[in-house]
Amino acid sequence: MRNAQDYAVRVDNLVYRVDSKTILDSLNLEIRRGEVLSIMGGSGSGKTTLLKCIVGLLKPTSGAIWIGEQNMAVLSEAQRAPLRRTLGIVFQYAALFDYLTVEQNVIFGLERQRDIKRSEMRKIARERLDWVGLSDVENLYPSQLSGGMRKRVGLARALATDPQTVLFDEPTSGLDPITTHQIDSLITRLNRELNLTAVVVSHDVGSVLRVSDRIAMLAQGRFVETGSVTEILHSSNEQVRAFLEAARSTSVESAP
Amino acid sequence: MEEQIWTEVSEKRGAVSAVLHFVGSMGLLLTASLRSMASFRWEWREIVHQMAFIGVASVPIVAITTLFSGAVLALYSASLLMRFGAGSLSGGAVGLSIAREIAPVLTAIMVAARCGSAIAAQIASMKVTEQIDAMRALAVNPISYLVVPRLVAALVMLPILCVVANFAGIFGGAFVASALGVPSFAYFKAVQLFTDSYDLTGGIIKVAVFAVIVALVGCQQGLSAQGGAAGVGHATTRAVVISMVLIYITNYFLADLLFAKT
Repeated sequence: MRNAQDYAVRVDNLVYRVDSKTILDSLNLEIRRGEVLSIMGGSGSGKTTLLKCIVGLLKPTSGAIWIGEQNMAVLSEAQRAPLRRTLGIVFQYAALFDYLTVEQNVIFGLERQRDIKRSEMRKIARERLDWVGLSDVENLYPSQLSGGMRKRVGLARALATDPQTVLFDEPTSGLDPITTHQIDSLITRLNRELNLTAVVVSHDVGSVLRVSDRIAMLAQGRFVETGSVTEILHSSNEQVRAFLEAARSTSVESAP
Repeated sequence: MEEQIWTEVSEKRGAVSAVLHFVGSMGLLLTASLRSMASFRWEWREIVHQMAFIGVASVPIVAITTLFSGAVLALYSASLLMRFGAGSLSGGAVGLSIAREIAPVLTAIMVAARCGSAIAAQIASMKVTEQIDAMRALAVNPISYLVVPRLVAALVMLPILCVVANFAGIFGGAFVASALGVPSFAYFKAVQLFTDSYDLTGGIIKVAVFAVIVALVGCQQGLSAQGGAAGVGHATTRAVVISMVLIYITNYFLADLLFAKT
């Protein structure tokens, strides 16, 4: 039996239904402390729903989501707040507050922690923005940033509260190949330099293969395969093979 | 309980269950807002910002509409009463109508059109672009950050706007009555004679209830928005229509409660 210290997040028998439709069907998953785990799958497979259940944005129909010793699934909205501070999430379209400047976005979560001075918050914002490779953008508004810059601000915001685990929802969707590599490199650095656990939800196979220690393949709300990058690449599971093959045939390498 | 505010319900409903769902979610939102207000961890910067938006910026539109409403009341009442040699009483008709009905209802309608729609549009746009989810993920309660400041700002500023509306309406009536030959002194004397502090207080009580309706309906429609730009548009339209209908319905019952026996 594993100790709660060994994993960052543990999902037990998770079911999520909307009306009569089952979105997540009896999922079990252990996300080990300090690893980069990618949840790969096609559109509508339930990846984002799983991510939102982990952060407590959606309440599962049944099952448990263990973060340390606490089950996120049974906590009230108020009880989830301290647990959420241990998790950072980078949304698919960054979800920056468009009426706030970049700096105000980054310190948004810190402003409600009353023991931090404003000068300290601004220092944290500068440090996090520097870490993601952005400088002199503090006073810009999200509408003045490119897609890649917004994602990096989203990551700086997620890192501002010093989380132990960072969850990425489609971090490379809609980005050009160079920006995609920059985001991949940030995920790897976040794991190696800051020693944080990262959960990446993506259908971008190239990016998933570059950043992951382990991959879990989700299809129709069920995990069909979980393993290391090599194990997934050599999987005999038909759905995994079909997904990888489709990704390979649409990649730039296969162009004539 | 708060969980239900964030839960998206996608099934199609009939008219009755849609009304029940609306009433239920308004009740939940009001309860969650009162609970958040009772914690006294108020977002003062947001409250001041909303007070400026709902209150200060609405002064011109409220003043102009009630000024002309007072003017048109005086136009009808003064010309009618002058036929019976009682033109000076028009001040009473204008004062009473403005204090009890025109000022509170028109103030609420103008704020619903101008700010209720903006509240719904802003919150709906935040909802469909996952900004509300981002707020919750950062351990910030959207009820405390978005709903309570708008509710508090509306509750403080609408009564003040109503006082402005009373002045504008009565002075609008005075201009027209004077132009029709009613002496200003007699007009204002009639206002004093027929309108007492209870009429003004009653109007302010009414507008405070309307303030809760405008702010809560705007927030509720924004928070329940789904889809993209179309969802934002629907939420905005629904917020204005529902607010206005509720203002008129509530106005009848409040008028009956406050003024029927006076």
